[in-house]
Amino acid sequence: MFCFQCEQTTRGPAGAGCATDKGVCGKDEATADLQDVLIHQLKGIGQYVSRLRKLGVADQAADSFILYGLFTTLTNVNFNRARFVEMIAEAARLRDRLRTAYEAAAKAAGQQPETLTGAAAFVPADNITGLLAQANAASVITGRDVVGEDVIGLRALLLYGLKGVAAYAHHAEVLGESRDEIAIGIAHALDVLASDPTDLGEMLEEALALGRLNFKVMETLDAANTGSFGTPSPHAVRTTPVEGKAILISGHDFRDLHELLEATKGTGINVYTHGEMLPAHGYPKLREYPHLAGNYGGAWQNQQIEFASFPGPIVMTSNCLIEPQPLYRNRIFTSGPVGWPGIRHIANGDYSAAIQAAKALPGFTKTVEGPTLTVGFGREAVLGAAGEVIEAVKSGAIRHFFLIGGCDGAAPGRNYFTEFAEQAPSDTMILTLGCGKYRFNSHDFGSIGGLPRLLDIGQCNDSYSALVIATALAGAFNCGVNELPLSLVVSWFEQKAAAVFLTLLALGVRNVRLGPTLPAFLTPAILDILVNQFGVLPITTAEADIQAALAPRIAAE
Amino acid sequence: MSEITLITRDGAKLNLAASATETVLEAAEAAGLFLPAMCHEGSCGLCSAQVTQGDYTLRGGPRAAAADGAIPLCLCMPQSALTIELPYPQSGISQHSVPTRTAVIAAIIRAGSGAVTLTLSLQPDPEFGTAADFTPGQYMEVTIPGTEIKRAYSLANLPNWDGTLEFLIRLQPGGAFSSWLAHTAKPGDILSLRGPAGRFVLDETSPRPRILVGGGCGFAPLLSMLRHLADFGDTQPTHLIFGANTEAELGVAAPLEALAAQLPNLTICCAVWHPQAGWNGFTGTAADALAQYLDGASVQPDIYLCGPPRLMEAVTRVANDRGIPPARIYSEQVQAR
Repeated sequence: MFCFQCEQTTRGPAGAGCATDKGVCGKDEATADLQDVLIHQLKGIGQYVSRLRKLGVADQAADSFILYGLFTTLTNVNFNRARFVEMIAEAARLRDRLRTAYEAAAKAAGQQPETLTGAAAFVPADNITGLLAQANAASVITGRDVVGEDVIGLRALLLYGLKGVAAYAHHAEVLGESRDEIAIGIAHALDVLASDPTDLGEMLEEALALGRLNFKVMETLDAANTGSFGTPSPHAVRTTPVEGKAILISGHDFRDLHELLEATKGTGINVYTHGEMLPAHGYPKLREYPHLAGNYGGAWQNQQIEFASFPGPIVMTSNCLIEPQPLYRNRIFTSGPVGWPGIRHIANGDYSAAIQAAKALPGFTKTVEGPTLTVGFGREAVLGAAGEVIEAVKSGAIRHFFLIGGCDGAAPGRNYFTEFAEQAPSDTMILTLGCGKYRFNSHDFGSIGGLPRLLDIGQCNDSYSALVIATALAGAFNCGVNELPLSLVVSWFEQKAAAVFLTLLALGVRNVRLGPTLPAFLTPAILDILVNQFGVLPITTAEADIQAALAPRIAAE
Repeated sequence: MSEITLITRDGAKLNLAASATETVLEAAEAAGLFLPAMCHEGSCGLCSAQVTQGDYTLRGGPRAAAADGAIPLCLCMPQSALTIELPYPQSGISQHSVPTRTAVIAAIIRAGSGAVTLTLSLQPDPEFGTAADFTPGQYMEVTIPGTEIKRAYSLANLPNWDGTLEFLIRLQPGGAFSSWLAHTAKPGDILSLRGPAGRFVLDETSPRPRILVGGGCGFAPLLSMLRHLADFGDTQPTHLIFGANTEAELGVAAPLEALAAQLPNLTICCAVWHPQAGWNGFTGTAADALAQYLDGASVQPDIYLCGPPRLMEAVTRVANDRGIPPARIYSEQVQAR
């Protein structure tokens, strides 16, 4: 096992990476190794899909399998070894079918088909022992002694960014939105990875191309979300219980939430959001269900305590799942790409088992009144107030904007983001997104000229909305995004954040503060490039970083 | 106060403080950590763990050491800072106390020679509703109505939402619970229960093949585990060794046929020690059957073992002799009473 894809990976004197029999996330060695084998196969599938696309042939089943397969390997998604054994067999069958299709399509176009080697020709063993023996050759660090750390680091950046892109594309796809250019871009990135690239400059270009692709993907997901559930608008969400039976839903997948709301309609069961599901309350067509009762708990890393104390079943729809504790093992359900051995999986939108559990479990015995959280400041809501915002900036009422967001985690250093938000001066606005917001969203930040100082834009993928807002403001002030009085303070944890990070780089957004630590796969040489060419800043202390962000900018030469 | 460091099998470190007059178990519970424990008098062995550093005394005075040197934490009172290695992972530590429930007897049915299937229906509870929430392999402690007599029995069914608990109980002639069950108990009676408890559960993250070995009432938790594996469409190779003295005891194994149909990688060996003429299955003890199986196996398995003390000893010896590390032997002792 070797894995260093997330922020919490082991970092020691011998180097970074989880390399024992279990990762920090709880992923065991066999599962990690099987995930490596699946990724290797997906590269091979990408080789064929990419070539088929060049011949004008689209294969939707292959496109979907790639998205789903990559998504299952994100941090805190699927820990079910048996599921990976099944997917590896399925990937082999798919690859064989694609090879036949490719050879036929090439001949039909009067071309000699290439004989592909490497990942495209990989033959997985037919049993788990054999597969585990093959995993070494499929590891992200295979060949490190020959090609060096920097090549491995940039390949990792590409692969992990690609995983995030695929996850967002999957979220859009389940809501019926997919685009040919996305499928082509993802297959191309897999094809590049399958070639075991070694040219640092070319890999960096590919990483930026992936960042641009992710902007398209997030735009598509935005279209899927707003097309399905309406345009988000500000809404106060209750954070306290309502008497009655209850189901908690966590993760990112609004399609699953919508299906659950439909399935529980008229049953008397209330549905509560958790973690990254909180922004659902901003969407008119989701909150129109009266039994979408409120939000319960905070970010993913608190789930073992929060799920244990929730008096009903829990549905986990995407990242981030951590090992279900005995206290709620029988009443947690996974859906979509998520899995844990011995935990019941909901397939085909059949929530009957979760509903049965909700009816059997006590639910909340009394209604409690308490504070609310206001969500729903998507691009339309914020830009709807653009006139006031622009006036407030011109009059000096708003001195600066901070975008503080990203993913949360358990590391102690993440207090930085709480301190940053709380210490930001009262004439600054705070935009937030992702589950990193739970570090400070219960704090009362007050308002400026009738606008709340804290604006919750949504999930991590709503970085799209944030970029649209920034671009529109830049347009209004007749300057570039980097000249706006705006600083980005990004917390990262997993691969969706890696995809968003590449998007920021690709769009030329400079001076992004990134923490709590920098990705372990970024070597000093790669970091030099990111710092010097892209102005990426590692975080220091909240006080110093706020001061630096507010200091008058030196005019560009 | 002494500092206590608990190290779980998966390497998690938990710290707490204990005075010289309280046991590690009491101090842990005061700190909100409910370690697996049952009898609280140093005899069931459920809370036993290895004290690797520090000095302690035992409540009630010195006693003979266990063969493996493990100390019952329900008696262990620290006299200095202690480091204790727990034989289970962190997930085996509950953050709540063991629930107390009441249930109605739904059915008492004979299941083969000297065994009874007792089915209970849990009454709704403010905290748990009607849920029969447990992990296959766990047990409940049942109190004989109108007495203080408690007996722990493994659950044989699957966790469910309608509150059904199924026990497979071997009747012990003259035993208090057995006598009550055979002569007094009837459907509609209300019982008090405590549980679920116990750490004898499947390690579903292990990639190794499994061998389940059971005899007597030790079959009940294994049956629950097999039902769980079938319910989840498990494909990992699993071998069941069911040990019986005579063919008459095989009656409780009746559900196996249906399970075998659902688990394509399940193989079953019924080992009969003293069969009648005409028995064409394996003749010998469960330990003999395990020895034969391990001698022909190419991959070292995980072993799940549940049964009376003699079977436990014999099977553990066979496994040890063949190099299976103790960490891969999951076991629970049962005694018909």
